[in-house]
Amino acid sequence: MSGSPDSEIIELDVRTDEMLVNMGPQHPSTHGVLRLVLRTDGEVVSEAVPHIGYLHRCAEKIGENLTPRQFVPYTDRMDYLAGMNMNLGWSLAVEKLLTYDLPDKVRHTRVIIAELNRIASHLVGMGTYGLDLGTFSPFLYAFREREKILDLLEACCGARLTYSYITPGGVTADLPPGWVEQCSAFLDQFEPQIPDYHALLTTNAIFIKRTAGIGIMAPEMAIAYGCSGPVLRGSGVDYDLRRNGHPRYTSLYDGYTFEVIVQRDGSYPKDQVYPAVPTEAVLGDCWHRFYVRMLEVVQAIKLIRQGLAFYQQATGDWGTPIKLNTKLPKGEAYLETECPRGQMGFYVVSDGNTPIPRRVRARSSCFCNLSVVEELCRGCLIADIPAIVGSLDIVMGEIDR
Amino acid sequence: MAEYFAAWFPAGWEFLGYTLAALLQAILLVHVIALGAFVFIWAERKVSGRIQDRLGPTRTGGAFGWLQSLADGIKLLSKEDLMPKDADPLLFRLAPYVAFAAGFAAFMALPFASGWVALHLNVGLFFLIAVLGLEVFGVILAGYSSGSKWALFGAMRQAAQVVSYEVPLGICVVIPLMICGTMDLVAIGDQQRGLFTNWLIFHDPFIFLVFWVYFTCAVASVNRAPFDLAEAESELVAGFLTEYSGIRWSLFFMAEYGSMILVSALAAILFFGGWNGPLPIFSALMDNFSYLAECWWFSTLANLLGVVNLLLKASIGVIAMMWVRWTFPRLRVDQVITMCLKYCVPIAAVCFLGVMVWTALGVPFMNDLLPSQNRALVREGWVHESDQRAVEFLQRLERNSDQGGVE
Amino acid sequence: MIVLLADTGGAAINWHTVMFYVVALAACGFAAMVAVSSNIVRMAFALIVCLSAVSGLLFLAGAHFVAAMQLMVYVGGTVVLLVFGVMLTAQKAFVSMKTTAGDWILGLVVGGTLLAILGQLIFAVPEWRHSDYQARAEAELAAYEEQLKSHIASGQDVTEAQRRRLADLITLARQGHPEETAQIGLALVGVRADRPSPEVAGYSGYLLPFEIVSVHLLVVLVGAAYLARAKRRRKPLLSSGVSTP
Repeated sequence: MSGSPDSEIIELDVRTDEMLVNMGPQHPSTHGVLRLVLRTDGEVVSEAVPHIGYLHRCAEKIGENLTPRQFVPYTDRMDYLAGMNMNLGWSLAVEKLLTYDLPDKVRHTRVIIAELNRIASHLVGMGTYGLDLGTFSPFLYAFREREKILDLLEACCGARLTYSYITPGGVTADLPPGWVEQCSAFLDQFEPQIPDYHALLTTNAIFIKRTAGIGIMAPEMAIAYGCSGPVLRGSGVDYDLRRNGHPRYTSLYDGYTFEVIVQRDGSYPKDQVYPAVPTEAVLGDCWHRFYVRMLEVVQAIKLIRQGLAFYQQATGDWGTPIKLNTKLPKGEAYLETECPRGQMGFYVVSDGNTPIPRRVRARSSCFCNLSVVEELCRGCLIADIPAIVGSLDIVMGEIDR
Repeated sequence: MAEYFAAWFPAGWEFLGYTLAALLQAILLVHVIALGAFVFIWAERKVSGRIQDRLGPTRTGGAFGWLQSLADGIKLLSKEDLMPKDADPLLFRLAPYVAFAAGFAAFMALPFASGWVALHLNVGLFFLIAVLGLEVFGVILAGYSSGSKWALFGAMRQAAQVVSYEVPLGICVVIPLMICGTMDLVAIGDQQRGLFTNWLIFHDPFIFLVFWVYFTCAVASVNRAPFDLAEAESELVAGFLTEYSGIRWSLFFMAEYGSMILVSALAAILFFGGWNGPLPIFSALMDNFSYLAECWWFSTLANLLGVVNLLLKASIGVIAMMWVRWTFPRLRVDQVITMCLKYCVPIAAVCFLGVMVWTALGVPFMNDLLPSQNRALVREGWVHESDQRAVEFLQRLERNSDQGGVE
Repeated sequence: MIVLLADTGGAAINWHTVMFYVVALAACGFAAMVAVSSNIVRMAFALIVCLSAVSGLLFLAGAHFVAAMQLMVYVGGTVVLLVFGVMLTAQKAFVSMKTTAGDWILGLVVGGTLLAILGQLIFAVPEWRHSDYQARAEAELAAYEEQLKSHIASGQDVTEAQRRRLADLITLARQGHPEETAQIGLALVGVRADRPSPEVAGYSGYLLPFEIVSVHLLVVLVGAAYLARAKRRRKPLLSSGVSTP
């Protein structure tokens, strides 16, 4: 239906009346409280307009009334599926303003924790994507493994969702005794499970039918909309802040080897055996975005394994979190990190001589990723809406802040 | 059965016997659906639980959570019965009953064992398929009268889907019909007596293929995943069920489980020998010991076991549907229709021709390879059986007249 | 169930008759409701019940095949499509039909004509027969068995033709009347089993009407699809403040 050369004229097989449908904010597959207003013509969606703001909690304004360390728990609640990565982004931004340097041990702890949380986040993304497409079982398989990751994170900081573990100046506590062994035991157990997920989703014929060739986003379009993370790399743009970012962030990954999962010259990295790309899949479609996430899980496992080895040999302590009332120097700092959903930037401005920043802003990856919905969903079917929105893997907490 | 009860009453009052028989049959059939739904909802929970690496219900009613369905039922009964402001009150209330009644009506023509059928029609198969298509009307009414756009979408999808899938389903059931030469389900079942090689699924390779097409179409026509577009929860909230709650909602569910049992039982009769077990124990006994063949309790016992056989086969079908549901993602609406028109219809049509050619050319069937089987019985079926009975009758007459002559 | 509702002779209640009146009343009542109701979906619902009741009447008359056909074609197919069409084209949720005086006159003329034709048809039928196939078949079988008994008792041998006829009667008694259905099918492909000489003009079956109807349906479908296709300019984009109903 969308193949008509002039996008202004839509030709319909059988004309029906247009209907304006409200998808959300209470809808099972809008990932929280997204509201999409659909203009439908039978099953065909001629227009989809996202409406946001149902989860707005004034996080940025709160940040202007608290000290940086007090603000850490609020960052947890932005992308609540990857709280550790949010903590990390905020901490690095504040440390950049303070020009604070960290011991080696903190560096490796942060890498391990952030990547562990990335796996947990991608598992939720994968499971709920299955739900969006109408299969329930992969969701529970994903949550079974995610529970174990949450157990590990709980052992670190006592919380399972809103951690506040990584904090400006270091982390709130060292990894508990025996944690490294538990973590590597988990990885050994988890890695053989991944083929199950590929069998249930990635290579499933119906899954491929539902996702391949749907919601195709050209690389230029992805860049133009400011997409990032797996959404950008799913379109074939070779860009990962862990490699291309600010030195303060990339230096965390010094000494680590990992592949940036992106299709280069028509093929994905071949450091391990991954399921083959189906012939129906087009670069930039829902299937590729999903596939990139699945492969990033494998890379994260690799990174954690290296991190655990580095951590055991690392010198120094687990850092000294800054004092609650540490005065911020006059100036500003902006730093972006590679979160599971894309590049998450924090911006801090200080007037100097006060512990409370003048301005706090956050750059949300999901916000940009969501903005493509209007263009991707034009002319698709109603059933494709969950497939496309799900493949963008948005978290409303981060968009509305 | 009606005559049996009618004999209890004095002349002129036989109608009471007929009434009693009708009530009894109706009650039995309602219980097939109600108990079937009860058991299969529990089974669905357990099966999905095991598929998903969980236990499912474990506590309700002691072991295995076997009373879970009852708990569900009580919960649904005690739920507030809501009706949206925009709904059409009359149709909104009627829709669940229409869906349930259609599902129930189809059971009238379903034989559970040889001759054990509430309504013995010579066009039983045709009636069943016709009534099966009526259930969609309850769904359409529900979707339309709810006054909700999601419900309307669900109803539209259901209507399109069921109307489309009636075509391949029809072609699929025509094939066993063609082999048996009758639309009488009792006759079709009886023709598959004997060893399991007599089952129509083993008749020839085409019909083996057709069974899978039938199963696909059956899953689609009872609106189960991966074809559950009408209530696709991730797209349409709950489709036509969006505005329903409590007992009305559960009626739709009873209808859905009823249809699942129905199409599975129909598959068992059409392809898997119906109430005949894989080994002909009872008929062998009856053939060899004339005392048993005459004995009423023995034939009743055989029929009872036949019912068990049929329900077991139907259960396997239902469980397979559950297995599919909890494994696959849902197809998109255009893919469901493509599946029907581009795959199911052509495959079924080709198989139809294939079976026709196979039969016309006289290619040996699997049964012909086993000499011990009375293959002619299956091929000639009902008519052959009539022949046998006619011959027996005549023999009996001649014997009688001979004896009469001696005396 | 037909057996169950069969004519029970001098019984206090004749279920067959009772059922006939119940079903006939339902058919008439819901038909009236179709005419009276102004809500189009309620109308469709009443039409469904009316047509199902007609199918019930056919069942009571023993015409199982026609009854099942009625269910499948009218109730399952036509009305579902009707409702489907209404849903797809309705401007708003519940459409009400307003009947003008002209519609009334037109309706009365058409309906009256149909009624007149039907009335004429009713009185044109020479004889109304009871159609309880099962009971008749059983009676026939019993009679023939008696006949054979006396035939054998008189010392004569049974011929192959007689044996064949007995087998046929047994088939009929056990199965109802499969031939009735088969005859309809044969007639549709041009063989009138109920007519002794197919060569006589006018008795050559229904192949031609059947084909004409099929082609006609195809033409209608193609035409409908052509008419329904439409090109349209896209509506202006939704403004962000649109409130949805």
